[in-house]
Amino acid sequence: MGGQGIERREILRYIGIASIAGTFPGFNKWEFACPGGHAQDAATLAARGSSPYKLIFFSIEQFRMIEHLAEMIIPRDETPGATDAGVAEFIDFMLANRVPVNAKREIRSTEDAIANGNEAQGRFLAGLNWMNAHSKAEFGKEFMDCAVDQQKSLLEELAYKSKFKPATESGRQFFQLMRDYTVVGYYTTRIGLESLGYPGLRSVWPSMPGCPHLNDPEHLHLQEPKASFDIVSDWRA
Amino acid sequence: MAATRVFDVIVVGTGAGGGTAMKILCEAGLSVCAINSGPRTEPARDYKLHRQVYDLKYRGYGNPMRLEGKAHQEPYSVEESEYSENSDIFEHDVAYSNAPGTDWYWKRCKGTGGKANFWGRSSARFGDIDFKAAGLDGFGENWPVEYAEIAPWSTKAERYMGVASTVQNRPSNPDGEYLTPMPWRCIEYIIQKGAEKIGVPYLPDRCAQLTVAHDGHPACHYCGNCSRGCDVGSFFSPTWFTIPQAEATKNLTLLTNALVRSVLVDEDGKARGVAYIDRTTKREVELYSKVVVLAASCVETAHIMLNSKSRHWPTGIANSSGQLGRNLSEHLYGCPGYGYLPQLRGQPARPDNIADSTVAWMPRWQNLKNPHEEKFIRGYSVYMGGGCGEFPGHYSQLEGFGSEFKRNIKRYYPTPVGALIQAPTLPSSENYVDIDPRKKDIFGIPQLRFHFQWGTNELLMWEHSKQVMIDLFKAMDAELWGMDDEPNRPGTSLHETGVCRFGNDPKKYVTNKWAQTHDVPNLYICDASIFPSSTDKTTTMPIVAFTMRTCDHLLENFKKGTHSRV
Repeated sequence: MGGQGIERREILRYIGIASIAGTFPGFNKWEFACPGGHAQDAATLAARGSSPYKLIFFSIEQFRMIEHLAEMIIPRDETPGATDAGVAEFIDFMLANRVPVNAKREIRSTEDAIANGNEAQGRFLAGLNWMNAHSKAEFGKEFMDCAVDQQKSLLEELAYKSKFKPATESGRQFFQLMRDYTVVGYYTTRIGLESLGYPGLRSVWPSMPGCPHLNDPEHLHLQEPKASFDIVSDWRA
Repeated sequence: MAATRVFDVIVVGTGAGGGTAMKILCEAGLSVCAINSGPRTEPARDYKLHRQVYDLKYRGYGNPMRLEGKAHQEPYSVEESEYSENSDIFEHDVAYSNAPGTDWYWKRCKGTGGKANFWGRSSARFGDIDFKAAGLDGFGENWPVEYAEIAPWSTKAERYMGVASTVQNRPSNPDGEYLTPMPWRCIEYIIQKGAEKIGVPYLPDRCAQLTVAHDGHPACHYCGNCSRGCDVGSFFSPTWFTIPQAEATKNLTLLTNALVRSVLVDEDGKARGVAYIDRTTKREVELYSKVVVLAASCVETAHIMLNSKSRHWPTGIANSSGQLGRNLSEHLYGCPGYGYLPQLRGQPARPDNIADSTVAWMPRWQNLKNPHEEKFIRGYSVYMGGGCGEFPGHYSQLEGFGSEFKRNIKRYYPTPVGALIQAPTLPSSENYVDIDPRKKDIFGIPQLRFHFQWGTNELLMWEHSKQVMIDLFKAMDAELWGMDDEPNRPGTSLHETGVCRFGNDPKKYVTNKWAQTHDVPNLYICDASIFPSSTDKTTTMPIVAFTMRTCDHLLENFKKGTHSRV
């Protein structure tokens, strides 16, 4: 197409403007989770004056437990996990700033946002307490002192319908809340989006590729890939 | 600008209608002053579209305190998020009222170009099935125009804007002139097969998105962020199309941050100009012209007219019919079904959302053979979306935690699909806007007040669409995860119509068939407020088409001497 070259340059110029990422102090974990335009190693961060993330909502004990739960929900396996993505820091920051990551009420005003934020803060703190009380009742120890298998079985009771136990509703609600924040925190980082193969990480496409299975328009004969988790997408080449 | 300068035409509003009007009038050589409520929209500053969500401090949610202290604290829509933070193009200073029992969500973009900077780009033509609906089913009143008269203007609007689609021969949807259609994604083929089995059409949408370079505008680069505004103008928006073209003529004076309060009248009750509040100085300023065009976006046009009271017009300018503000219509929006396509489980991620659009849609299929086939009259259309998106929201449907949960999130990533119904409300005497008798906004302007309830007909369509989705998911061998209990709040669609209806009888309509007010011949309206009823189609392209037609008539009136130049 005539003129496409000039237009493409114009587009790239705008991308250049847009990719000057907003940086703010104390977020080395997020920055680590967002390579590409960001400093990645400790030395570079130190040189830039960035300090490690300072907790603004949780105590250090609560934070460790949040980090542990997040990693149980999204562990590092074939791809990085919640800790790698700074999910616990994300939760601390979002809760402290009352950001409606998981709004239980409709937010039409600043007042609504504050009320929602206060509610979320309360639910997190109560949830951590519930987990500890529950693990004490089950295993005689606080959650973080339990063995990995015990922790896993505690979470399974909250996560899988088939394993639900009576009188654990508040624990189940906390688990869902924790899972919501973890998933949002993970899949809004570059490594999270890369683990999905999110196509929007690329900002310019020559055309819309469309469906590659035109010989199977009903998509009834597609093979679901088995064991391999890290699927190389054909469009990324 | 000299304080005493008089313009040939004042155009209030610079969106789909106002932008088009000022371009045409400037190109015809008239001196035009366009008045825009808010600041100039600057894509390089106001759209942060190519930024990834992790580049934003609050991951796109924005600072929840950002609208603290504002008169209207609700965000515009998904378009107003952290991506538009530090931009002042959305209205939060001017409050509005809802009558008891009404829950209207009035979303306003006050930046130049208005809502048309961020629109959904669906651009179907209106046809006789819409214009003559009253004649077919006996409800309400026909439009004062026929398709044969409007078709050339639709063609003109399509050629100007660039609309991608195919010729489809649907009785509900006249075909137009189209650019190469958007290629279909996997989900489209699967949905189409399923839809075919239940007798529902699934066809390329009429999408005003440039699949090829068009008239000096570059082809789409598929970044997928259209709803945050296009940074290069690859879909129609006043910011990239009409405003620069009007400015190039040197006939345009563009005032920004100027909130129009009322239309001024002369001794005969004719329009003499407008009074506006300069938002910066908070002072009221008067500006004069031979002709006034209101294109402030439907209900705001009625707001200005209702606030234009004088000896001649005690209930608002050009309101001898008493119909000003009446018959507010809207699109009922809501999700009648969402679920997943098991056929796509485990497939590699595909760039499904890079066009940020429904690629295809279900054009109206109900009540076509007979206007009373269904329990409701007229009909609705449905947009489908899905596939790999920006966030794996489907995680909430998947049980568990750990590596298996993570694997499932990826495994189901290409599979989710969901529907959006676009159902027209029927005009009703219960649905209208008026002036709140008690409340004034921070500039001292009496506030607009909404009175609006969903009617039975549109709620029957809503119920119907839920059953269609149950049938469709079954026909696709797919699983339905859920559906909205209630439709979205009124106002969500941004497609309000009515309030200044056009028609031949001055006793029943605000404007004549040319969108010139019956009472005040030098006052014209170029927005969706003239449309007497809502249809299953969106409003932007028809606003452009009808504005082109109205401006042609307006210029003719200058030629004939009905209006004299300065």
